This record gives sequence, C-alpha cells and structure tokens, in this order.
Amino acid sequence: MMDRLIRLWRRLLFHLRRGQFDRELEEEMNFHLEMKAGEIRAAGMTPQEAHYAAQRQFGNQTLLREVSREMWAFRSLETLLQDLRYGVRMLVKNPGFTLVAVLTLALGIGANTAIFSVVYSVLLRPLPYEAPERLVAVYSMRPQKNAFRNVVSAPDFVDWRAQNKVFDGMSAYAWGGYTLTGDALPERFYGLSVSANFFQVLGVRPLRGRAFLPEEEQAGRNRVVVLSHGLWQRRFGADPGLVGKTINLNGEGYIVVGVAPKEVRFAPAELYTPLVFTAESMSEMGRGSHFLSVIARLRVDTTVAQAQTDIENISRRIEQQHPVTNTGKYGNVIPYQQDIVGDIRPSLLVLLGAVSLVLLVACANVANLLLARAASRQREIAVRTALGASRWRVVRQLLTESLALSLVGGGLGLLLAYWGADALVGAVPRDIADSTPGWQQIGINRQVFSFTLLISTLTGLVFGLMPVLHVSRPDLTDAFKEGGKSSAGLRRQRTRNALVVVEMALALVLLIGAGLLMKSFQRLQRVTLGFNPGQVFVANVSLGSVKYREASQQVGFFQQVLRRVENLPGVVSAATVNLPPFSGNTDRVFTIAGQPEPAPDAIPYADYRVISPRYFRTMEIPLLRGRVFTGQDVAGAQRVVIINEELARRYCPNEDPIGRQIKLGRYAEDNPLHTIVGVVGNIKHHGLDSGFQPEFYYPYAQTPVRSSAIVARTQGDPLSLTAAVRGVVLEVDKEQPITSPGTMEMAISESVTQQRLNTILLGIFGAVALALAAVGIYGVMAYSVTQRTHEIGIRMALGASRRDVVKLVVGQGMLLAAGGIGVGLAGAFLVTRLLGTLLFGVTPTDPATFGSIALLLLGVAFLACCIPARRATKVDPMVALRYE
Amino acid sequence: MGKDKRPSRAELLPGTLELLILRTLERNAQPMHGYGIALFIKSISNDVLQVEEGSLYPALQRLALKGWVKAEWGISDNNRRARFYKLTAAGRKQLVQEVADFERQLEAILRVVQPV
Repeated sequence: MMDRLIRLWRRLLFHLRRGQFDRELEEEMNFHLEMKAGEIRAAGMTPQEAHYAAQRQFGNQTLLREVSREMWAFRSLETLLQDLRYGVRMLVKNPGFTLVAVLTLALGIGANTAIFSVVYSVLLRPLPYEAPERLVAVYSMRPQKNAFRNVVSAPDFVDWRAQNKVFDGMSAYAWGGYTLTGDALPERFYGLSVSANFFQVLGVRPLRGRAFLPEEEQAGRNRVVVLSHGLWQRRFGADPGLVGKTINLNGEGYIVVGVAPKEVRFAPAELYTPLVFTAESMSEMGRGSHFLSVIARLRVDTTVAQAQTDIENISRRIEQQHPVTNTGKYGNVIPYQQDIVGDIRPSLLVLLGAVSLVLLVACANVANLLLARAASRQREIAVRTALGASRWRVVRQLLTESLALSLVGGGLGLLLAYWGADALVGAVPRDIADSTPGWQQIGINRQVFSFTLLISTLTGLVFGLMPVLHVSRPDLTDAFKEGGKSSAGLRRQRTRNALVVVEMALALVLLIGAGLLMKSFQRLQRVTLGFNPGQVFVANVSLGSVKYREASQQVGFFQQVLRRVENLPGVVSAATVNLPPFSGNTDRVFTIAGQPEPAPDAIPYADYRVISPRYFRTMEIPLLRGRVFTGQDVAGAQRVVIINEELARRYCPNEDPIGRQIKLGRYAEDNPLHTIVGVVGNIKHHGLDSGFQPEFYYPYAQTPVRSSAIVARTQGDPLSLTAAVRGVVLEVDKEQPITSPGTMEMAISESVTQQRLNTILLGIFGAVALALAAVGIYGVMAYSVTQRTHEIGIRMALGASRRDVVKLVVGQGMLLAAGGIGVGLAGAFLVTRLLGTLLFGVTPTDPATFGSIALLLLGVAFLACCIPARRATKVDPMVALRYE
Repeated sequence: MGKDKRPSRAELLPGTLELLILRTLERNAQPMHGYGIALFIKSISNDVLQVEEGSLYPALQRLALKGWVKAEWGISDNNRRARFYKLTAAGRKQLVQEVADFERQLEAILRVVQPV
C-alpha cells in the first residue's frame, strides 16, 4: 500500500517535471554515446564511423526515450485523452450524425433526469426529521369496509398511547382554521392543534422559544401558539422578539411561545396550538367521532410489524369493551414516509417506467445510427487493425466515442431537465404541491446530477456496445475489397432490423399506455356530475368563534352577505354551503327514525351538508320529489332535511321517504329529529372517479355553521366577481376575510390535475418514442435502399415497374413494423396492468385502444418507408449497373 | 557487415536485464553510470552477455520508479557530468529475492535441458 503511494507520488513528480526528465535522459544517453564513440575511435575508426557504430549498438534512441517516458506515465489516462481527442474529431467531422444522436440522447436523458428529480425529492429523499425511518402514521382501519386510512377518535388515541409498548412517543394532531387579526389585513389560514409532544416525536427543536408543555393540553392553559417558520417570516418579518408576545387568533389572545424550524412542513399549516380533548370528544360516543391524525416514533429495535401487532391487540380489547363504536375497527401502522407519498407514488413510478422506455428507444436509435456509420468506418478500423491495433484498443476507441456522445447528450439533457422539472413543478396546483413533502426542493441537486451521469454512462455503453461487437473484429480482406458487400454487412443489417423491431415495440407499449390514460381522462371528463359547474363562483368565509358565538349572529351574517351578493350585477343566484363539491367530505353517522337498530357493521353513514335555500337552484341540482328549503325553514319551525336519491335508494327502499324522520348520530343518541321534505339528484362530491354517496342537507337557519362557502351562479366570468364579493363581506364585517376565491370548474379541474399531468406526460413520452421509432425505421429503410441500389437497378432493367419497387421496399419496412407491433402488443398486454389504479372506466387491455394505437404505428411506419421507397423508384438502372 | 567471427552472443532471458543491473550495482560499492554498467556486464560475462545498450535506460527508469535504485548527477572520471545509480535498501532486498527466483528457474531449466 505504502509502496503504491510512493510510486504514485514519484509519477506525479515526474509529470510536473516532464521537461527536465526528457533533458536529463537525453544528456545521459548522449554521454553514453560519446563514451562509446570514444572507445570505438580508440580502436581505430574515424570519428564519423565511430559515431554511427555507437548509435547502431545503442538502438533506436527516440523509441527508447519513448519507452522510458511511458514507464512513468499514467498510460491509461493518456490513451484515454488520445482516444477522446480522436473521437471528438470524428464527431465534429460528421455534424449531421452528431446532432441527431446528441439530440436524441438529450431528449431521452433529459426526460429521465426531470422525472427522477421529482422521484428523488418526493419518494427517496429522507424526511428532514431525526431518524425519519422510525416515524410511523397510525390510522383507524375497517378492513371489512375496505377503509384503511381513516382518521382516529380521541378515546382510541388516548388508549393506544397509554397501552402501547412499541412507541417512544405518540402524538395526535387535528386541522383547524385560524383567523389572524391585528395591525395588518385580517388573514385566514390553516393550523394544527397538536399533542404537547408533537415536536419531540418528530425529533425537532423549536428555532426560537420552546415547544408545548404537557399541562398546556388542558383547557384554559392552551392559549399558546408555535408559529411556522413561514408565517413568522412572512407576517412578522422574522422578529426575534416575538416570543412571549400575544397575537390575536379567532378573536382570542394567544401567547407566542416558539417558532418551528423550517424543516417542519405540515403545509398548509401556518401555526400550531395545543390539542385539547373536550369532554364530549372523550365521551363514549366520542369513540365514533374520528378527527385525529396520529404520528408516532417507533422504539429502537421495534419493527412496523411488531407495532402493528401491538396496536391491533389493543384495538381488539377496545372492540370488546366498546362494541357499538369499535366493532371491526383497528389501528393501522404505516411507515410515515410511505404514508405521505402514498397518493402520488403510483403515478411517479409509472412515469419513471415510461421515461426509461423512452431512453431505451433513444438508445436503440443511436445504436442504429452508429451501426450505419460503422459501415463507412469499416475500412478505417481495418487499417488500424492491420497496423497492429489490438481488438481491445479498437473497442476502447469506439466506446470512448459513444461515451463522449452520451455525455454530451447527458449534459444537454441536464439543461432540458432543469427547465422540464421547473415546468413540471409549475404544472401542479398548490394543494398537491403543499401536501407532498419535498415538492419545494425539486431541482437539480447532487443526487440528480449523479443519476444523470450514471444513466449517461450506461446509455453510452449500451448503445456503443452493439456496433463495437460488429466492427471491432473486421475481416481484413473483406473490408479492403472495393464496395465490400460482406457477410458482416449482412449481419449488421440484421442487427439494425432487430433494433427497429425493438424500437417499434417499445414505442407501441408507451403509446398504448398513453392511449389508455387518455381514454380514462376522457371518461372522467364525461362523468355526469349531477350539477352544472359552469359559471359558478366559490369563496370561503369562516367566522370567528368569539365574535360570532351565537347561532343567530352566524345566520344573520350569512343572510346579509347573501342578500348583497344576489344584488350584485351579473349574479343569477347565490347560496351558502358548508362544503362545496370537490372540497372535502363530512362522513357522518345518522339514524332513520322508526327503523330497527342496525348491526354495528351496518351503521349508515352519509355526507351531510348545511345549505341556504337557493343552493339547489344555484348549482342546478334537480329536485326529484317534495320541496326545497324556503325562508320559513328557520329555528323554531319544524326541523327539516332534504336527502339525495342515493340515500333514499339505500336506506328507504321501496317506500316514499318524504315525511320520514332522520337524525345525526347513532340509534341511542338523543339528537333532534328532522323530517324529510324533499329528495334531490345525486351529485359527485369527492372526485370524478368516485361513486355517489348517500347525502342529506340541513337548512343553515336551523343548523348554523361558522364556516361556509358562498356560491354564486353568474352571467359573465365568475372570477370577475371576486372583488365585489370581498367588498360585500367587508361591508358586513370589516374584519372578515374571504379565502380561496375561485370557480367550481377550477375546483373540478384541479381535482383531476394528477390524472391530467400523467396523461400529458405519458402522451409526450409516447410521441417522442413514436418520432424516434419513425426515424429509426426510416433510417434502416433508407440505408437498405442505398445498399440495394444495384439489385433494384437489375430488377428495373429486367422490367420491374415502379410499383414493384415500391412494394419491395415498403413491404420490407412493413414486415419490420409488423414484427415490432406484434412484440409490442404482447409486451403491452403484460405491462399495462401496472397502470392499475390510474385507469378509470377502461380496462388495461382495452381492445379499441390496442387496435387503434397499433394502426397508428403501422401508418407512421408506412409513411416513414414511403420516402426511401420513392427514392428507390428513382434509381436509374444504367447508373446503378455502371456503378458496380 | 561481415563481422561473423565474433563469439556467439546470448539473447538475454526476459526479465534478467534488471537482475543484471541490480547485481552490477551491488558488486560495485561506488555508484555507476549507465555506460559503466554496460561495460561491466559485458566484461564480467566475457562478452557473452551483450546488452543492447540503449535498453539499459528504460530498465533503469523502471527500477527508479520502483524505488530499487536511486539516481544522482555527478562527475565522471573524465570530468563529464553523468547520472550515477546506486542500489537502495529496497533494491538490495529485491535482489536477494530475484536471485533466488532466478536460480530456481535456472535449475529447473537445466534439469529439463541436461542429458540424464
């Protein structure tokens, strides 16, 4: 080891003093020659003769010096540089070839880099918490109902936390809305109420101040807040003296006790307050009220499986003690990282698979180009071999060239990826971006760079190896023959044909994937919504709990706002709804009066919404029976409810539901009964791909809510209403903000953003692969026509018509295309099932898609063959024959 | 050139040149220059071993790289600047090793070649 180091050091010294080495060696050799010549002269020769004799005996001085020098040199490095210089010269000499090859590679590598940069940031980069691999999320699951990631009820959480033996810490958190008032404009945002040990479980220390104390989980002591790093900077100018001061949230004073570090990203949460369990949420019925997310830290040496067993055992004990609420409900432990990327993971993996196919097609294409060029380099390589270059030396030369190509392509690809990743990040709406950790950090970093370098090198080796195998051992006599039509040429043509078949097959697989996604997307777009989303404006308003403590105040506020909004120019109709479609759900247990108590696993759930009378008119939801709410459905009047068709179908089959009474909550609960006065049509609430859920609507005057959306159907552009609605709200309460103004169509369109993005990206990848494959088949056919000029000439001389010639060429091309399509169809058949959950309303082996894409590919291949075929018909038999 | 009446010259076995250089340097306590080494080998072997003189220099470089000899510039007997080589401690060790190897090889060859 030491020896090696010393030798390396000597070599380095040698390189620094190269000139000196040469001078000294020359001097030494001259000394020798002079001494020798002196000796010979003494034996009686003339000085001239002695000089020559000495040199003869010495040997080739230049060569010897060369050999001595090589002894010291980093031989491999210098040959590499030499190969590289030569390779670059060859590439520059063929700018057309180089351009096409580099662009092809840049596309392939760039696409891969862009997708990988997203995959790395989202799926691979560890979370910025201490020992993130020990963090898990714990959910409630009801395996029988196929629900595995439900939020948790407070009593369940408290029992798990007290009884488990597998966690170092367990923390719950719940989302809430906060209105910040003070010097600046009132602002409304999300926040989390968290268990006191929340930051401890994550393993982070507050940047300023402190985290929460255990006693702050009690009501009355919980008016403390930890700000997110973002809010602290944005709203408070990163004021270091903020800790200890009081800010006004939801109309109450909260003492700022700390600022969270930047890494804690529970976007869009802007602040954290202690989580307090009310007596109601801890009651027996509270077990059925699920609202908590749970995060826990595994003990060292504890596996997720062990944790799952422990939590499940505890859940079974709870199940026995509380059968009404907990039958069939168990805890579900999921690694935290997997949990937060769960939704986006399948799409990313599919995209990653798709881009790697594009890269393979690009490789095949460049290999094809290189093979075509190899024909013209056959002679050059034969010369080098004849002059004594070893096979390995030739292979190295060729591989250096392809590596140079792929690295230049990779460099350009990196640039493409830099823009591509930016575009990708920009194409995703904020809510997905916010809820996907790592999204903000997407970009070209060290890991992504290494990845690009790696795939560039691999790519260079893969597409470089193919021609190398063909060229590096030329048959010398064959190669030197003029116009050599050799067996090697034939072999090469066969390889090129095979490459084209592979390219076609890969392109077909990609295109079929893209086609399936496109069809799914179309199906999604054509889904019957049940309401008319066109020209509907939406904005949210959340009232403070102090200022709007009384129900009458809440109702009063919305009544005033609604009256003013309806009078705005351009507004056709306006209403409120606590949760507009595509904004979340409110699964609630309900009970129909007069029906027997349902079994624990058959308890009816429904979405429940609170609306103002004109909601159905505004959204254009059809009334099927009975009546809609009116201004008379107020507090004190008969309590009423409107149900949807699905609820009627499932829970009141074969009877008229009008006049029946339902209540929120379980059979035993003592909640007020509402009489069903109408049935309305089903609408899609949760997403285009979800089914219809049972739903019921309460009138807001009887069940007031503090937070509601204002929806308004307009004549013109709904968005132009934003300023007017904000003005109206401020007229009623000058401290009241509105949040997320937008349109119904925007909400729907955002709900399918991921699908749209997948479809577009896969479409682009498919198109690139198609273009590459077309270029590939064109190249092969064009080359084949040049090779067969002679044969075609003879055929034409013997009376073949132009049609015959076209048939000959196109036929050959079509044979290749058909081969590729055959292989591709088989491949697609195996692969498309991986799209699985990304498809909607179309099977992974949809025959229409398979058929039409195969036809498309056949058509493109046909066009690509037509150009060489036309050229073949222009062959002049005389010229072709004379050429020989 | 018609100088056929020389005593027959032996081609060096591969790898022996370095051994010869090391041994030469060991036998002469004084550092030697390349020409001196060539002369010495020639005379001690009664002109049988004729080193192609030029090839001495790459071999010397190899030995220097491996650290078995050390080169220093000095003044020759006839007052000329020349590069002198001397054996290093590592070179001495290497020599013992190579001599042993060589003898074993030679013995083996002789056993094969000699008539029984």
